[in-house]
Amino acid sequence: MNQILEQISICIQKGKVDSKMAYPPEMKGMPGADELTKAALDEGFSANDILSGALIHGMGIVGDLFREKRLFVPQVLMSAMAMKAAMVHLKPFFSSGELKQKGTFIIGTVAGDLHDIGKNLTAMMIEGAGWRVIDLGTDVKTERFLEVLNENGNAVVGLSALLTTTMEQMERSVKAIREHFPENRIVVGGAPVNSEFAKRIGASLYAPNPQVAVEYINSI
Amino acid sequence: MTPRERVNIAMSLSKPDKVPLMCQFSIGAMMQQLKPSPALFWYDGRVFADGLVALCERFGFDGILVSLHGHGDRWREGLMEIKDIDEGKQELIYGNRREIHSWSDLPMVKFNSANISREISSVDVEREIPSHIDYIPVSQDLRFHLHKSNMFGIFSYLRGIVGGKYSIHGEITSPFDYFLDFMGYENALVSLIIDPQKCKDILERFTKGICLLASDMCDEDIDAVKISSPFAGMGFISPEHYEEFVLPYESRIIEAIKDKGKRVYIHTCGHIGDRLELMQKSGASGLECLDPEPVGNVDLKDAFNRIGDSMFIKGNIDSVNTLLYADENKARADVLKILETGKQGNGFILSTACSIAPMVCSDRILMLRELTDRFGLY
Ligand code: B12
Repeated sequence: MNQILEQISICIQKGKVDSKMAYPPEMKGMPGADELTKAALDEGFSANDILSGALIHGMGIVGDLFREKRLFVPQVLMSAMAMKAAMVHLKPFFSSGELKQKGTFIIGTVAGDLHDIGKNLTAMMIEGAGWRVIDLGTDVKTERFLEVLNENGNAVVGLSALLTTTMEQMERSVKAIREHFPENRIVVGGAPVNSEFAKRIGASLYAPNPQVAVEYINSI
Repeated sequence: MTPRERVNIAMSLSKPDKVPLMCQFSIGAMMQQLKPSPALFWYDGRVFADGLVALCERFGFDGILVSLHGHGDRWREGLMEIKDIDEGKQELIYGNRREIHSWSDLPMVKFNSANISREISSVDVEREIPSHIDYIPVSQDLRFHLHKSNMFGIFSYLRGIVGGKYSIHGEITSPFDYFLDFMGYENALVSLIIDPQKCKDILERFTKGICLLASDMCDEDIDAVKISSPFAGMGFISPEHYEEFVLPYESRIIEAIKDKGKRVYIHTCGHIGDRLELMQKSGASGLECLDPEPVGNVDLKDAFNRIGDSMFIKGNIDSVNTLLYADENKARADVLKILETGKQGNGFILSTACSIAPMVCSDRILMLRELTDRFGLY
């Protein structure tokens, strides 16, 4: 990998946002994802090289380390911040059509459930993998999922539930989505959910962590 | 031997006549069993306390955990309307928010305008972090206000009903949880990295207030205090961050409680397998939860080997996969295995790891009593 792309990838992995950020201590004073992305564009790298060769690459490593419990939530949030700082420079290329997202991922925590930490991390990782994410927040009613699916025909849907009581709601939502959009993929997650449950309610996949979902949707 | 003696002996790392049984209920589980007026159950200390006693007696538990205290009338201030929406569901309408109280869950609060999450750099620690704690950060947007005039009235009320029969435990919340609630969860977690010193200043100030609260609580006729610390596990932070941002502060609270001669245990749900020894360093008398796979990653036998010489263990039944979803055979087998393993250790209290999930049926809770009576004898 080219040196500057590798440096950007390292900034994502380490959560080095910009030169002002003192974290991580060993990179204090050094340029971060923000400055390096701008520099890479100035050097003539294409937006696509930066996106897939540095940002998505870096975020993928973060996802793997998180899955292995070698990174924890604060570190992942820092990586997401670094990613966001880099993406600011790539935004014009999305608007011009030079850069394309891999697809759309609609995510929400099901009705009655307010847990969103895991859902938000999942949204960040999927965004970091090059997808457009529409985050519907928490306590999302079935009708809302259907409404947004109507506007985004090919989207993959992700549902999160952390409560046994709201798993029933997840079942209702998944069944309604299946009924109206039989072709769309549905990924479910959240601590009490498992593969057996996902299969029974008609979801395409149970993802115990965001990285499993990323690998799956990238393979569609 | 009274239930209270049984629990106290286990907490002192000895073996009573049989394994004590004491689970904590989630609010939803209490509501499902009692079907009270949901808003009154939440806000009225007597309705709540009567419910705690009824449940303890119904299921033959040896102790009562008092998860809310400091009840009062402030909730009526600014209350514009109470609507009965459905059976077991009420909506309380205030000028700035709506609260849905229901039989299946904690109250859900929706503020008219969303809370803006705080930048760590803008926090004025002295001015904004209270030196006296007057709320419990129960859940998202849901704080339980503590009334100074009736801070611990619920404990004497309960003793008035049950006398010395049951062990009564109070509950306080970890400074780390107050910090996350104050900052907003994600913002707080990022701040641990961006500005660790400021985080410590905030934690320090919360700790002072919580120490006072815990110490005053210990003047009541209770046997132990549970420290609720749901964000201290592997699902959130590294062991290094635990050591830096949780351990020093919880240790001080533990010291304050032990100084008053009471026992204290830490409740952290989920995966904690990598930090049992660190938790032991806190000086706590016991550990609660110890969620097994898949909710957590603690093996009970291993936990006893690692920390059982200085701490009692309360927990280890998976409320969802064992009590709620498993068939009868698996449920009994799971509980029996825990009972057998627990009996080998010194101080053991049989309990669900985290709270009893809302939809667990009465038969499954009664099964715990039956199995403990038959197979929990020392
Ligand atoms: C934090 C927390 C809260 C916070 C939530 C803050 C927030 N903004 O999210 C607050 C305090 C508000 C809360 C409230 C309640 N909680 Co709570 N809470 C937790 C806790 C401690 C951690 C959850 C968490 O954030 N974990 C960290 C994240 C990173 O992990 P995660 O959510 O599992 O997500 C990961 C994966 O599952 C996956 N994932 C998640 N969603 C999705 C979606 C997709 C599409 C994909 C691909 C992947 C994916 O990716 C994430 C990263 O790996 C758990 C205990 C536990 N150990 O899980 C209890 C827990 C979930 N809560 C529980 C309960 C009962 C409640 C309450 C009813 C309160 C109560 N105890 O009475 C209320 C309910 C409020 C409501 N209606 O939602 C129970 C649920 C029991 C059950 N199964 O029914 C738990 C298990 C604790 C327990 N054992 O009692 N809670």
